[in-house]
Amino acid sequence: MKRIFIDAAKCDGCKNCTVACMQAHRADTGTVYDLNLMDIRNESRNHIVITADGNYKPIFCRHCDQPECVLSCMSGALSKDPESGHVLYDENKCGSCFMCVMNCPYGVLKPDTATRTKVIKCDFCQHDPEGPSCVRACPK
Amino acid sequence: MNHQCYGCNTCKSADKPLEGFIRSLPMETSHHRVDTQKTKCGFGLQGVCCRLCANGPCRITPSSPRGICGANADTIVARNFLRAVASGSGCYIHIVENTALNLKKTAQTKGELKGMESLNHLAEIFGIEESDDYVKAEKVADAVLADLYKPEYVKAELVEKIAYAPRVKRWKELNIMPGGAKSEVFKGVVKCSTNLNSDPVDMLTDCLKLGISTGVYGLTLTNLLNDVLLGQPKLRQAPVGMRVIDPDYINIMITGHQHTIFVDLQDKLISPEAVKKAQAAGAKGFKLVGCTCVGQDLQLRGAHYTEVFDGHAGNNYTSEAILATGAIDAVLSEFNCTLPGIEPICDELKIKQICLDDVAKKANAELLPFNFDEREDQSWLIIDKIVDAYKERRGNVPLNLMEDHGNDNTLTGVSEGSLKDFLGGSWKPLIDLIVSGDIKGIAGVVGCSNLTAGGHDVLTVELTKELISRDIIVLTAGCSSGGIENCGLMTPDAAKYAGPKLRAVCEKLGIPPVLNFGPCLAIGRLEIVATEIAETLGVDLPQLPLVLSAAQWLEEQALADGCFGLALGLPLHLGLPPFVTGSPAAVKVLTEDMKSLTGGQVIINPDAKESADILEQIILDKRSGLQI
Amino acid sequence: MRHIIIGAGAAGIQAAKTIRALQPDAAIIMVSTDEHVHSRCMLHKYLSHERDEAALSFIPEDFFEDQNIYWMNNSTVTSIDTDERTLTLTDNFQLAYDKLLIATGANSFIPPVGQFREANNVFGLRHLCDAQNIRTLADKAQKILVVGSGLVGMDAAYAFLEQGKEVTVVEMADRILPLQLDETAGNAYREQFEAHGCTFLLGRKASETVINASGSIEAVILDDGTRIDCDLVVVAAGVRPAIECVQGSKIKAERFIEVDKYLMTSCNHVYAAGDVAGISGIWPNAMKQGETAAYNMCGIPMEYTDRYAMKNTMNFYGITTLSLGRGVAQEGDTVLVRHDSKSYQRAIIRDNKLDSILLQGPIDYSGVYQYVIKNQINLSQLTTDVFQLSFADFYGVDKRGQYMYP
Repeated sequence: MKRIFIDAAKCDGCKNCTVACMQAHRADTGTVYDLNLMDIRNESRNHIVITADGNYKPIFCRHCDQPECVLSCMSGALSKDPESGHVLYDENKCGSCFMCVMNCPYGVLKPDTATRTKVIKCDFCQHDPEGPSCVRACPK
Repeated sequence: MNHQCYGCNTCKSADKPLEGFIRSLPMETSHHRVDTQKTKCGFGLQGVCCRLCANGPCRITPSSPRGICGANADTIVARNFLRAVASGSGCYIHIVENTALNLKKTAQTKGELKGMESLNHLAEIFGIEESDDYVKAEKVADAVLADLYKPEYVKAELVEKIAYAPRVKRWKELNIMPGGAKSEVFKGVVKCSTNLNSDPVDMLTDCLKLGISTGVYGLTLTNLLNDVLLGQPKLRQAPVGMRVIDPDYINIMITGHQHTIFVDLQDKLISPEAVKKAQAAGAKGFKLVGCTCVGQDLQLRGAHYTEVFDGHAGNNYTSEAILATGAIDAVLSEFNCTLPGIEPICDELKIKQICLDDVAKKANAELLPFNFDEREDQSWLIIDKIVDAYKERRGNVPLNLMEDHGNDNTLTGVSEGSLKDFLGGSWKPLIDLIVSGDIKGIAGVVGCSNLTAGGHDVLTVELTKELISRDIIVLTAGCSSGGIENCGLMTPDAAKYAGPKLRAVCEKLGIPPVLNFGPCLAIGRLEIVATEIAETLGVDLPQLPLVLSAAQWLEEQALADGCFGLALGLPLHLGLPPFVTGSPAAVKVLTEDMKSLTGGQVIINPDAKESADILEQIILDKRSGLQI
Repeated sequence: MRHIIIGAGAAGIQAAKTIRALQPDAAIIMVSTDEHVHSRCMLHKYLSHERDEAALSFIPEDFFEDQNIYWMNNSTVTSIDTDERTLTLTDNFQLAYDKLLIATGANSFIPPVGQFREANNVFGLRHLCDAQNIRTLADKAQKILVVGSGLVGMDAAYAFLEQGKEVTVVEMADRILPLQLDETAGNAYREQFEAHGCTFLLGRKASETVINASGSIEAVILDDGTRIDCDLVVVAAGVRPAIECVQGSKIKAERFIEVDKYLMTSCNHVYAAGDVAGISGIWPNAMKQGETAAYNMCGIPMEYTDRYAMKNTMNFYGITTLSLGRGVAQEGDTVLVRHDSKSYQRAIIRDNKLDSILLQGPIDYSGVYQYVIKNQINLSQLTTDVFQLSFADFYGVDKRGQYMYP
């Protein structure tokens, strides 16, 4: 399977991956120039945490081999695609219980801020033949 | 020497031979770096990164809609924008200040004044009655300098005399008449500093004020003062592109915006004594090779400088290629757009770099700040240094000429004066063509060249082609001129790209459908043309079927120019947004509210065809407004 | 090799899926009383008419065909002969197995209050059939009594409120969601429920019932004599492991089926997973137990380790809460509380280790807390504020790009 490799030592916290992710998953269309950066419905599936010692730690879905989120999903919304290895999320099936948020050992998931009915989950940019937008947006 | 092939990753250029040339170069240029810099910061693009204080940088996201201080996207964007406009205005005000000082000193020393018509015209506008030409010139220069040095709270006097009366009336209603131009810059940078102004509308209003002082002094008056010292533009056909470089001469590439700095040097370079020095070194003499806007200005007045001036080789993003020919022996720079990227190339090709103004001091250049009183000694010093460079490098550095680049018959020397003369001393023939619909309207395709709006000059050239195909005549000023001329759109032959009606007009008059007014400063000349046409028709500027496009704007100066365009009430197209789209308030003011304020509006579109559609529709609307 | 799995809940399904992955050619038979595979945790969405039977499923539509599993639904196992390795169904049909997994889950516990057990309008909420029965009555009912304010009770109450019913919740404890939340966190929900028309009677028990001629309870009398008229009673007073099928067999079971660390029962070849095994009956653990049992059934020894079940999340009226641990402070514990306009957070630290955490409001990126509690991480080694912990504090990446804890 494909996985986004992260070299945290190179991360400068520029959040370009975050903006790229928001752009890739925005509901409306447009360019990164007109992506509404104040609309809470535009959420990133990745985030970067700065640690006390000043290092940036990019936290991205690993599409785990043994995905705890899938095991915790009580509605069948989360599943691991046996072919691609990607952990996929079906918003329509989601029961909004957020057991997955609690069970992701790496704290990657969050409820959507606007409605708290969906999970903000990396989809590996399935819609984009060029692959994950965050990877292309990383300047390093 | 680094022979690594950077080839495959250069950006596109509208100028295909140039694109191929740059791709084949053994050294890195800005065209190569577009690829490695292609990952842009989304916050930066939208203008919502603030680093005005130690709490920053703060960036606006859905989960952090305010900076630590509480500034929202509107405040952050407006502050950043005002800072850029103030900075850009400062650049032009620096240029006009030096130009006025040079005129003043020339007058005091009774030096040559080549443009008496312009001098008399200025004296008349300023209300200066004086029989002695030198005293007159000094008074004209003093009047400009006096305004530049006024405090911000004292209104500048010449604005009312230079600008079109209906515009002045509107500016007074909007309370945007500027004070002293330098002080306006000062006020602007104060206003956008940390925890001062947070009102986006107030700051954008200041941008308009800065636009007016930039336009009236930095653009319009710089042109006219230049005309007095350097001679008025005259229409002529001239060669353009890298073909102008003659390797038999000692070649000096000039970059910048302050043409008056070169007055003495231009004369000295063709003096028998200098030619003798050149010949002793093995060259036929000296030639100036035009690059950037100062090259455009020289080309504009090329009729006066046929001996020393070889022609205009290219715009800002052609400068590296020009140097890479190996036939340039020195770069004399006095302002932007002197790219830092020329430095390693100059080092590698042993090209002497001399800076004549410390505002544009290049890291590896020798600084010889222009001093009017010592200009003659300085000219000889420069000549000697360049001869030394020539001797050291020629024969040791390979030539990589591009002798068929560009063309031989670009129409140059277009100005408000030369064009009116060409039309028989009146704008009526042009107005008649517009009224009859043979010319649908006028588009000023102005400003810079950048590498990111499709590539080098790509959007500029594509948009120009689209506009002329719709019978819209295009007037250019700035680095856009350099790209468009090298692509051949300013030769009479280019009439074939125009729509049927415009084509017929061009073929009848033997002119191209794109008229080259020269440097970005000449945006001021376009304003004069527009004003005189509006005056003849008895309408205000926003009513004219006239649009502006800074399709490939590059610099902060362009933003100040753009604000002038907006203050004039003109529609202004930009290919790329000026880092404001993160602010709903700024976007609304610039693209919507401006229509009811000044009559202007910003249109942002990176697509040539779509942009041309929008601009054409605006022209059609304005035509129907005028009932033509 | 023939595997039989009794029960088509989380543990059963996960076991079947895992066996199939391990043994592509094995025969797998699933026997379930349930007609439909459904998620028990989504039943309230059926009550609120948000989902129909099909939408309660947590597996793909073609799961059984795709996985080549023979599924006998509407079938209940009545007895198991572990010597012969056979089991008998209600219609006396017999099946032989090589390996057997009992994953029958649990049933609602209906306390012997008044005529709760006899009345025709009292239901637990555990199976789809419960929900179907409830919904048929609830559609006509106006007044609904919910006994118990645990998650099941609150889910049901929420569904009824959404349907515009008059809902009363009786709770023995002095606060709602007593096992999951403290009073402050519970009150945040209580206010919302009350604002939507719910009545809570706390610190009260049902003690008597008033039944009518047609066998329906008309009213419930509480221990303080309060009479609550009702058309329908939903009892959410806990569950009991569904051990009926092992009765009379050699499989050891008292309240639940006993299993060893490999999830094997007292009989060889027979395993149990999920609620029926009584280890830790919450969804993710049931899934893991199903998986673990499957490995062992396929001859790959695997111990079951994750016994941590004191964890829950909930989401009512847009208020999300995560609760890990018992939430009960002991002497010597440090209790940290943070309450602001957007959130309520409470952590109990015992011997420098996180014992419990409750996050109400934003629960973004909170997955790391389970690791910290389960693995008894010594917090004194961390400089980060306990409420700000994230994976960044432990960040590790292996060669394959998988995150790992150091």
